[in-house]
Order: sequence, then C-alpha cells, then structure tokens
Amino acid sequence: MAEKNHSTAADLKLVEWAQGGDMDAFEELVARHRDKIYARAYSMMRSEDVALDLSQEAWVRAWQRLQQFQGDSSFSTWLTRITINLCLDQLRKQKRQKAESIEEMDEESGGVERQMPAVTINPTERLERGELRQRIDTALGQLSHEHRTVLVLHEFEEMEYKEIAKTMECSIGTVMSRLFYARRKMAALLAGLKNED
Amino acid sequence: MNEELQLKLQAYLDGELPEAEAREVAAWLAQDSGAVGLMTELKNTRAALALHERGVNVPESREFYWSKIRREIERSDAAAHRPAPAPVSPFKWLRRALAPGMGLALVVATLFLITRPGTTAPGLGLTVATADAGTFTYRNFESGATLVWLPYPAENRLAGGGSGGNLQQQ
Repeated sequence: MAEKNHSTAADLKLVEWAQGGDMDAFEELVARHRDKIYARAYSMMRSEDVALDLSQEAWVRAWQRLQQFQGDSSFSTWLTRITINLCLDQLRKQKRQKAESIEEMDEESGGVERQMPAVTINPTERLERGELRQRIDTALGQLSHEHRTVLVLHEFEEMEYKEIAKTMECSIGTVMSRLFYARRKMAALLAGLKNED
Repeated sequence: MNEELQLKLQAYLDGELPEAEAREVAAWLAQDSGAVGLMTELKNTRAALALHERGVNVPESREFYWSKIRREIERSDAAAHRPAPAPVSPFKWLRRALAPGMGLALVVATLFLITRPGTTAPGLGLTVATADAGTFTYRNFESGATLVWLPYPAENRLAGGGSGGNLQQQ
C-alpha cells in the first residue's frame, strides 16, 4: 500500500482519508483553509475572538459531518457554508438578546444613502493599501449585521441574490435593497464623505 | 432616479437581469450620466472590497489553532461514545421520599419485637446491625433467615447498581 503524503495530496483525497478517520489528513485541510474560514467568520462577526471561536467550531462540525460531504462543491466551499451558517445563527442569537438600535432601523430603509450623489472617486487609486483596508474594516463594522452579511455573501462568496435570500431567510427584494444600501454606505465611508463615528 | 431604477442598475452590474432588461439598462446607461456615475461608484466599491478580503489571516500559529480543534473533536467523540444514562423511573422520587421512613419503621418494628413481653421464643436469635449508614440486618438464627434493608440512594455500595431500597432474603 502506497504511503500517504498529506502535504501533496489533493483536498478530495485528504477528505477521503479523513472520512476514514485519518486525523492528520484533516489537520492538513485545516492548515490549508484556516485563513479563508477565519476571514469569512471575521468579516461577518467583526471580532477576532468570536471569529476564532466560530471558525474552530466550524472545523469541529465539519469533522462530525464529514461523511455527508459528497464532493458536489469544493471542500472549501462546503466548509465556508458551514461557517456562514454558524455565524448567522450567532448573529440571530445576538439580535434576539438586544433590541435593534434606531440607527439600524434607519439603515434598513437606507433612505439617506439612496439620495446621496454618486461617489466617483476610486478609493483603490486614492488610498494606500493599508489605509484602504483600515477604512473598509471600519466601514464594515458600521453596517448592521444584515447589510454586512449581504455584502459579504455577494462580494466575497459570489452568491447570487436567490442564494443569499435562501441563506438569510428573506426575500430577493430585501437582498437587493440591503446590498444597494450597504454598497452606497461603503462608498461614502471610503471616500471620507461620512463621519466614521 | 427612483429606487426601482437604482436596484435595476445594481442588478445589471451583478448580472442578475434577464437579457432583454439588461439591454434596456445598457441603452439607458449610454445616455444618462447620473446612471453612469452610480454604476462607477458601485464598481469601485466592489473592487475595494475584493482587495480587502485578501488580507485577513488567523492570528494564531497553525499548531495552536489546530490543537484547540483537535481537543474539541476528541471531547465530542468521547461524549458521543459515552453510554446513555439509565432511564429514570417515574417512581424514583417516591422511593427516595419513603426510603428513610421505611428504614425507621423497620427499626421500630424490630425494637418492638425485642421488647414485647412473651413474644421471644426460645432459641430465637435477633440482630440489628448498622454496617453502613442506613443499612439494617435482621437475622433469625433458628430459621437461618436473614433480611437486609438497603436504603436508597444507590450510591451506597451495598446496594450496588440497584434502584431504591431492597429487601434481600437469604
């Protein structure tokens, strides 16, 4: 029997070995995809500690459900969906625990941002990469979790409106509206037209 | 520009419009500078977000990050293989409530038998022992019978895994 080489094996082979109980194969998968999974959790939760906990919980869930992975999508996509669902569950819990703020209710309608003149400055040209990253980080943190999640799922996960609506349990119209509002607010924040406080 | 048009423009950018509607929006963009401005803004924001996503990494070493995952997997695997607790009898609370009283009743009955005049037959041996807290033994040497009262709860080792108070006859 050929010896396993975890570091050079393809993801699907590692999954196959892990499904047979090979923990080293699973560790290799963690090493390969941990940054992406953590980044997804962080972009949704905006907290390093929470993102670490949820990303690690996602890996544990993945191990427990590994037999369910059929290879219909890539392992990375499958795991990212687990992470997103965990984050959404956590956000729903948090939302139940605290009433929505007045600002968030205002964001839902997005009235002010819709009326703003278009921001034609390209932030990727105007700002240093570090500064841009910092501004995006701050801006993402200023969005309500619904708007941020729509943005993340669409821009980072490249999900279609229909898929986002299903994941977030809302209508396609709501997805479109939230996405539009989130993009406009991001544009304003990146251009420095809106207070970041 | 009303909300419906704004959302249609966005849907065009995202490739979510049917072909016929997409053609309409393209024609509209060719003659409306306001729509072009908004489209530029949406595109720029998308480009900026794409840049941001690449910069986030786990703030822990590979080993430390993995060690926590492994520990949790092992913990959950162990929990999954742990035998389920025995089903709880609906009369458990009743046995628990009555056990001390029954033990006491046994002592009283035994003392009554010992002290009652004229009831002790010749050769009758009687022993009341408390070998363990709450445990009583009645032994009739003549007939060779022994009664042991084991109280509830079952953490008393004499009771073994039994449920509730037991009367054992030898």
